[in-house]
Amino acid sequence: MNFQTAPHSPNTAALPRERIAVRDVRKTYGSGASPVVAIENISFTVREGEFVALLGPSGCGKSTVLNMVAGLIAITEGAIEIDGQPVRKDHCAKSVGYVFQRDTTYPWRTVAQNVGYGLEIAGVKPGERKELVDEALAVAGLYAFRDHFPLTLSGGMRQRVSLMRTLVTKPQILLMDEPFGALDTHTKLEMHRFLLELWDRERQTVLFVTHDLGEALTLADRVLLMSARPSHLKEDFAIPFARPRDAVTLRETKEYGEAFSHMWHSLGEEFRRDDRPEGAAR
Amino acid sequence: MKNQAAKIAFWRIIQIVFVLVLWQWGATWRDNDGVWLIPSLIDPYFISKPSDIFTRFLQLGCLTDFNGDWLLSKPGGVAACLAQHPNNLWVATGATLLNTFWGFTVGTVTGVVAGLALGRSEILAKIYSPFIIAFNAIPRIAMVPVIILMFGLGDVSKVMTAWVTVFFVVFFNTFEGARSVDRDHIAVSRLFGATRWQIMRTTILPSTMSWVFASLTPALSFSLIGVIVAEFIGTERGLGKLIVEGQARADAADMMVSVFVLMIVGVALSLGIGRVQRYLLRWQAHYQDIG
Repeated sequence: MNFQTAPHSPNTAALPRERIAVRDVRKTYGSGASPVVAIENISFTVREGEFVALLGPSGCGKSTVLNMVAGLIAITEGAIEIDGQPVRKDHCAKSVGYVFQRDTTYPWRTVAQNVGYGLEIAGVKPGERKELVDEALAVAGLYAFRDHFPLTLSGGMRQRVSLMRTLVTKPQILLMDEPFGALDTHTKLEMHRFLLELWDRERQTVLFVTHDLGEALTLADRVLLMSARPSHLKEDFAIPFARPRDAVTLRETKEYGEAFSHMWHSLGEEFRRDDRPEGAAR
Repeated sequence: MKNQAAKIAFWRIIQIVFVLVLWQWGATWRDNDGVWLIPSLIDPYFISKPSDIFTRFLQLGCLTDFNGDWLLSKPGGVAACLAQHPNNLWVATGATLLNTFWGFTVGTVTGVVAGLALGRSEILAKIYSPFIIAFNAIPRIAMVPVIILMFGLGDVSKVMTAWVTVFFVVFFNTFEGARSVDRDHIAVSRLFGATRWQIMRTTILPSTMSWVFASLTPALSFSLIGVIVAEFIGTERGLGKLIVEGQARADAADMMVSVFVLMIVGVALSLGIGRVQRYLLRWQAHYQDIG
């Protein structure tokens, strides 16, 4: 199999439209003589219906990129556009849904109230809200727990609650920050299966941050590999596995093994670079 | 488990009976010829004895007259007694409770509002923190005479005293709570497009409330303390007045009646607030275990 950098074809008319565009973005922390450079320079686009994974060693700034796309943190230089509209800090695009790595369920709300939160903010009437929430709970296998409080649930269940809280608002663009990073291997696989099943129905545009190569290969159409800090985009892989995919059996295929080993080496270089003492990498 | 509960209850009752019997018997014995045996600190002159306290309780509560005859059996007997004693036990307890309630309510509401305002605004917190520290450094009780001068002997001065004692307890808890709201919880609200007011209502308030609820039990105790102390200094009615009047007459039974009533009131209030707290914080694992 031949893994090529995704073609930046001049003939873009045939391709689905760009939904997320990151152009020459640079992010520094602190000011004065020696600001810390988190992101050196990064550019990429995500097209309609594309599932893109942003992969890199921890601390490489992948979450920073995602948070800039979400409008949670300011961009130092460059521009990010969602559907052609520039993203600014604290102005989140309506079409965007975001899922955190940490458990961010509201502990004082029941499972059903948590899932209905986004709808409540959007002003959806209680009757309609209940219908949508019940449907989402049934899909996630959480209906029996609808009146439970999050602290009585397992980590995997809480993350399903977070996921459904976002999905129930039907976002067209989904930003996910290592949403399964805190889960054990088995639960993680279950969640991959669950996410793929949901995504096959709606085909949202997804930008998915992870440091787990297996996860990126299982889920994504494209994997953007980020370098260690100060980061830039190192490689852009197209993942050609057929859909619908099965999170478990996919891992047993030959193609998966080849793709894995190819990218493993590329990623390994970045992990090693990251191990060097501060300053040596520059 | 059930067996153990019965066992605990049994030993508690034994304890109470033992102490009451010893108290009653020791006091009676001292009145006769056992003076040398009983230390003078537990002299009935100071602490009375259970039977006298119970008799006084019935008299102060207008249940019997001073001869020990039941007033309930006489038509209009209780009403006449109540009218004759403007600070009878019922009026006194009612006044103290009502003032405690208002002091608690006003103190809690203002404490929450101030705590939220300063907890969520860096600039307000910076401006006001030295004043808060200075006011908090004043022992609240030292302000009671001033408060009574300002607001008179009526209920307002009691509520004001309770307010200044309760306010800071709730304020500091709310302040800490408002500052420790999970940033990601706020981000979730914002990502769903919540307005400033919606973020406040759905995220900051409920998150802070868990801290506020935790301060309700001490707030209630402080409110009761504030009211009683204000009643010591100057009042028209209330349990605090019964106690200082008893002291002025060196009437130990009078004082002990009020103390016991306060104990019962205190226990009832804290059980009540505990239930409310457990309901409001039912989502916390800690409270779910108690269930």
